Amino acid sequence: MMRNLPTTWDMETGLVSIGSGIGGLSAAITAYDEGAQALVLERSEQVGGVTALSMGEVWVAGNHHAAALGLEDSVESGFRYLKRLSMGYGNDLAILNKVVHARHALRYFEERMGLQMRVIRNCPDYYYRTTDDSVAEGRMLEVVPFAAETLGEWQSKTRLSPQMPYGLTHHDMFERGGVANMMKWDFALMGERLSKDERCLGPGLAAYFVKGALDRGIPLLTGSMAQELIGDGERIVGVRVTRDGKDLFVKATRGVVIAASSYERNQDYNKTLGQQLELGSMVFSTIDGSNFRLAGPVGARSARVPDITSLGFVVPGEEDEEGKPLWRSALPVIGQPHTIVVNRKGKRFGNEAFYRSFYYTIDIIDGGNQTHPNFPCWVIIDSQVREKYPFGAITPGQDWPAGLGAIADTIGELAGKIGIDARELEATVATFNTHADQGEDPEFGRGRHPWSIWMCGDPFHKPNPNLGSLVKPPFYAVELKRMGGTAIPAVGLLTDHHSRVMGWDDGPIEGLYAAGNSVARMETGAVMQSGISNARGMTYGWLAARHATGHPSGLLKEEIKRLGL
Amino acid sequence: MIEAEQSVVVDVGIDDVWHYVKDMQRWAGMMPGYRECTLIDADDSRWTLKVGVGGLVRTVKVLVHVEEWDEPERVVFSYQLEGDPVRGGGSYHARRKGAHETEVALRVRVEGSGPMAPMWEAMSRPLLPQLAKSFAAKLKAEIEAAVRARP
Repeated sequence: MMRNLPTTWDMETGLVSIGSGIGGLSAAITAYDEGAQALVLERSEQVGGVTALSMGEVWVAGNHHAAALGLEDSVESGFRYLKRLSMGYGNDLAILNKVVHARHALRYFEERMGLQMRVIRNCPDYYYRTTDDSVAEGRMLEVVPFAAETLGEWQSKTRLSPQMPYGLTHHDMFERGGVANMMKWDFALMGERLSKDERCLGPGLAAYFVKGALDRGIPLLTGSMAQELIGDGERIVGVRVTRDGKDLFVKATRGVVIAASSYERNQDYNKTLGQQLELGSMVFSTIDGSNFRLAGPVGARSARVPDITSLGFVVPGEEDEEGKPLWRSALPVIGQPHTIVVNRKGKRFGNEAFYRSFYYTIDIIDGGNQTHPNFPCWVIIDSQVREKYPFGAITPGQDWPAGLGAIADTIGELAGKIGIDARELEATVATFNTHADQGEDPEFGRGRHPWSIWMCGDPFHKPNPNLGSLVKPPFYAVELKRMGGTAIPAVGLLTDHHSRVMGWDDGPIEGLYAAGNSVARMETGAVMQSGISNARGMTYGWLAARHATGHPSGLLKEEIKRLGL
Repeated sequence: MIEAEQSVVVDVGIDDVWHYVKDMQRWAGMMPGYRECTLIDADDSRWTLKVGVGGLVRTVKVLVHVEEWDEPERVVFSYQLEGDPVRGGGSYHARRKGAHETEVALRVRVEGSGPMAPMWEAMSRPLLPQLAKSFAAKLKAEIEAAVRARP
């Protein structure tokens, strides 16, 4: 352990959270409730972190909301679900730890902080009907809309999402046919919520935790970049921070929690850690690998799990608040009816409606000729999509933005415009159309996952909500680009079941904790499930603070004993 | 349809206020997110604005047409977003309160059209009052500063 103590400390607190997403805030709030002082450092000028950019889903197996609705579930079932899907790339103890504690952390923040959550009805697990222990609904939770005016001066400093329709809940959207059926949404309700600044989805979830910190008087220091950890030779005891161009030495008597998300805005790390080339990103520029930069010098161990590369596109004229092109995820678009994705040979190469399967194909390397056979790729739609469904932010009735992709009256002409073989593309569309009219996709099984139907299908479209032929001109093609998975990383800091960061000597680094996307995904291994990222932020922050304040959870031991593991 | 109204008292006489607002380029320059204004003719102009909604910043082009110039009290205008199914209009009313005091009432409305009209109006609902307030404050500040700066 290094010893780099300053001559004097500028500030002293109990626990320091680096990052103001759900991980850092849950740690600070719990530490305060356990009798310690706490402080949150946020590098940007807004709090809420990547949590605020998310759909706000929180995946908790065996939660009390599902039980109250009579939906059957348990810790054991949630554990088996993740264990099976992790394919051995995870760690059984980490899986159980997450499942056991998420439900307790949920109750804790509801009872102590005023978090209000409810089950997203009819929202299935990704692998519902594909694997045992999956559920049709019950594990996916979302917040009750949050009145942001209660944040006072922090209302404008608590992050919003440029991509998510945060004036509506999942319930509001999906009872009217989901994302594809945006035309049927209740926009009067949305307008009312936006006017009153009532936040749903990720912005709502983040706001609850910001409010929890504010209610406790926990200082939220924005514009404060953690530069290095400070050790006393035995443990981590503080952080050197730069704020307003000056060094600030912050002493942390209980510990430091790194909850600064991952590295998606660092292309070097994307390539060398994630094995991903030049990614577009929905997240802001401070998500650049601070977790490794800070914890690396004190000997923290990293770990990697199999990962996927997402796809997205940029609509000309759209920017984020930092003035950078705004990335839109292809996920909700490419599984809609009348839509396919093809590679440079003009062929489909997977089930576009189930991203967990489809995105594994993007970076496949053909060793025979050292190419990526499925990248570049293009999404192809017909005019029925333009009439009925959103395409990113482009809604029915809106002009197709100049400079976005190609438009043509025939499939053959479209192929020529994007530089792929016309006959191949025509054949691909013809084959797809024949099967789509029957509601089938014998080649890739599109439209068979209930989650695909829920997420990007049109439940009013028959016979299959994810399949519809491409017949109506003009036709459109947009090249899809590689994109990060909203800061859900392949590589993170290895932690133990108290969220202590582990060293390469397999022992914990005393005084150093991590939460959220800064942590290696040993509880998911090869799989990801929507809602897990927010759940692991909330859970690991809570666990870290419990341990740092001298009240470590003993639940894991009890569960191991109870389950006879 | 969504509407907003905002009044402001400018500490300048009505003729001086008119002298300032009769230039449509100045109106454009007072819009939040203003980037560019191209005058097409005496009554028509194209404004380029960067509009921020909940973390999203979008560049929009707006065709503005002045329907009435009624010196020194009234301007009536209409507008249409290029590429988006959104149109609207509004008015400027000035009332003499004193030799060096003018009350200005601004009205603006947004009308979505097509299948997503309710969405466009919902998005405009929180935006419009902020826009009117910001525009009125800037109008007052700029006119008063311009008059003060006169030799």
